[in-house]
Amino acid sequence: MTRKPSVCQEIEPALLATAIGDADTATAARVEVHARTCAPCRQDLVRYRAIEDAVGAWRGAPAPAEELAHARLESRLAALRRRTLLYRIFPSPLGPILIARSEEGVSCVEYLTGGADFAHSRLSRDEGIEALLDGAEVEALYRDLLEYVEGRRTRLEWPLDLRLARSEFHRTVLETTARIPYGAVRSYAGVARELGKPSATRAVAQALRWNPLPIVVPCHRVIGASGALTGYAGNRVTLKQRLLAVEGVRTRPAHHDFRIERDAMYACAGTDAEYCVPTCGSLAERSLADLTLYASRARAEAAGLAPCTACRPDLHPISR
Amino acid sequence: MDAEGFDTLVATHHREIYRYLVRATFRASEADDLAQETFLRAYRAHRALPPDANARAWLFAIASNVAKNHFRAESRRRRAHTGVREIRIETDGAGPEGETLFKEARTVLDTVVAGLPLKQRLAFTLRKVHDLDYDAIGRSLACSPDSARAHVFQALRKIRRSLNGYELPVGRDDR
Repeated sequence: MTRKPSVCQEIEPALLATAIGDADTATAARVEVHARTCAPCRQDLVRYRAIEDAVGAWRGAPAPAEELAHARLESRLAALRRRTLLYRIFPSPLGPILIARSEEGVSCVEYLTGGADFAHSRLSRDEGIEALLDGAEVEALYRDLLEYVEGRRTRLEWPLDLRLARSEFHRTVLETTARIPYGAVRSYAGVARELGKPSATRAVAQALRWNPLPIVVPCHRVIGASGALTGYAGNRVTLKQRLLAVEGVRTRPAHHDFRIERDAMYACAGTDAEYCVPTCGSLAERSLADLTLYASRARAEAAGLAPCTACRPDLHPISR
Repeated sequence: MDAEGFDTLVATHHREIYRYLVRATFRASEADDLAQETFLRAYRAHRALPPDANARAWLFAIASNVAKNHFRAESRRRRAHTGVREIRIETDGAGPEGETLFKEARTVLDTVVAGLPLKQRLAFTLRKVHDLDYDAIGRSLACSPDSARAHVFQALRKIRRSLNGYELPVGRDDR
């Protein structure tokens, strides 16, 4: 192979750059001048430009099976999204709390009793879930929750994603519990009755034990028919007492537990549209399973109830 | 970047990323897998992407990494099966229809580009087919913009030498 003259060797990178349109005008002009008098370089320029043109045809040309590949990706991403949760762990007055949300809504609130670490979360043990740490998406939820726990907010109007429920029954229990108003309590038996399964009291209690959304789905408002709080988040019944206190529900300690002060609460029987003082008619004898109790008249009225026309709690409120 | 932004990203860039990977792997089925891998990685990381980032260059960088890893794993596999020194350029004629199409569309230039070393092939494709600048190519291939340019130039020299004697049809005669 013959060696190129040094001037051609020197100008080669510039020639290449010119051929593929990378060169500035001065360089391109210098190359053109040289190529005019140098046949081999002129030929190189032509060849590089031919490559450039041929490759140009590749631009924007669809690849084989492109739409198929695109459709496959879309469906795979959709599947991934359906099981992706964005979470973050926050400090709170109740200890470290993990909040997670999906595209559909809030899916998990968890007290991290083992420590403020994702490894302690139930989500870390669920293989069907892709949990991604995310700051922004759950930040607003945290602010709401904090206000709620501090008593500065009475509603958490978040869309809920109940897919972490373990069964259809579990899901229905959560939905029913979610409808118990702020500042009110019902019993496990009462929830079971509302579901049309009066014998499922223990199953209801068990379902709420696995509530994936404590606070948001207010299982703290569900208590034993005796008026005892009975249990919460493992053995943290004081948390339950505290959340109820925030909502104005008074309790007193009772043998490793707390008991609501039933005679200090307004009552609504079954699906009545009225609320009463606890001594109205035969209310005092009725089982808690039949009643919803309210911490105050304001709470009962916020739930859409009117004062009873017989006992007139509006005129004769409970005196303490 | 939010979820909607990511949808736009997929709609806008998946096809070109896929094309890039077809050029990198010579195979539609492999490019399909690698493009999915690229976008799944992107999905996991997109929330951390600043709003003013060049998302397109970012995706090409992920795709380049995925391609490099793919070939690294491939060469490990090949070393493990010593003696099986096949160079698989569309050997499975019974593959999906798309692969056959690609095979038929293959030109002399395709073949020559396919024979380039990986980095040069990727740099060349990023520059000449996808119009990335040398900064972006450098970021994609984990090298400086100058080395990125050197890869592209080296690729061109090799293509010219490989085409020696074979005249590409000259498309335009106005320069």
